[in-house]
Amino acid sequence: MSSSSSPVKSCPIPTRVLTLKDWSQLPDCYSQTPGGTLFSTTPGGTRIVYDRKFLLDCRNSPLARTPPCCLPQIPGVTVPATHPMGKLQDLKEEEEKDIADDSQFEMDI
Amino acid sequence: MDRVQEEMGCYHDNSDGTNNIRKSVCAALGEHPLQYKYTFWFSRRTPSRPASSLSYEQNIRQIGTIGTVEQFWRFYSHLIRPGDLSGHSDFHLFKEGIKPMWEDECNRAGGKWIIRLRKGLSSRLWENIILAMLGEQFMVGEEICGAVVSIRFQEDILSIWNKTSSDHTTTSRIRDTLRRVLNLPANTIMEYKTHDDSLRDNSSYRNTKISL
Repeated sequence: MSSSSSPVKSCPIPTRVLTLKDWSQLPDCYSQTPGGTLFSTTPGGTRIVYDRKFLLDCRNSPLARTPPCCLPQIPGVTVPATHPMGKLQDLKEEEEKDIADDSQFEMDI
Repeated sequence: MDRVQEEMGCYHDNSDGTNNIRKSVCAALGEHPLQYKYTFWFSRRTPSRPASSLSYEQNIRQIGTIGTVEQFWRFYSHLIRPGDLSGHSDFHLFKEGIKPMWEDECNRAGGKWIIRLRKGLSSRLWENIILAMLGEQFMVGEEICGAVVSIRFQEDILSIWNKTSSDHTTTSRIRDTLRRVLNLPANTIMEYKTHDDSLRDNSSYRNTKISL
């Protein structure tokens, strides 16, 4: 708190009021810190906050692309099952194949 | 630990001989730390085998623990996407030290939000929910325990677990954040279930409280 006698001008936090008729009208930036801050201070301390865009951008760095060591070999999960896996890093939405009955799978731990 | 491992921010494998390998994680230079460390888990159940607490613990295993954004991508990029999993399977991403089980200390007073998805959506929405969790978008202090994506026969289910089911401020905020980060279709029903109720009826996804 300032101990000087000159008055300090304060600015109210800019706000915007919207009336929503539906949840789908909720703007993308609702409850998100403007600018997608890397570090933010919240009551009670500093938290490390990353927005989605920042996290996705990190994916392209060379640090993020090497395979992790000590990845357990789980067929169909971390390594191909019996047949080669489809695109691992494809972000396109795919239709799930219709599985008529669940395949019997004994997990080898 | 050799130099290559050091640069990759690798793991010290302190295997205790059980299913669950303890790994300590170090962040390499230039990596972005996460607010919390998280562990990836995978579980699968053959439909013929009935669900029981003992068999659940045996059917779930750790894949690895991450402490930075880059470590996350290294693991995530080498895991099959949930939409491509076969059978009755789950991925779990939980804070280090919290088991994705109702009985864990951190889960005893907790519960989870559940979102049922038609087939085809799980991969994208799993990615969105975990990015939100890792990026601390939920803003509920320490309350988040982890997230689960469950692949089932005709639908897939996304869940996010929090510590205190009776804390309605927290559960409401989680629900609102889910709507924002997942961009769910309008009128998507979200359900909340306490782990206590799950223990009582021995089911994860039945008998939930519906919230519109």
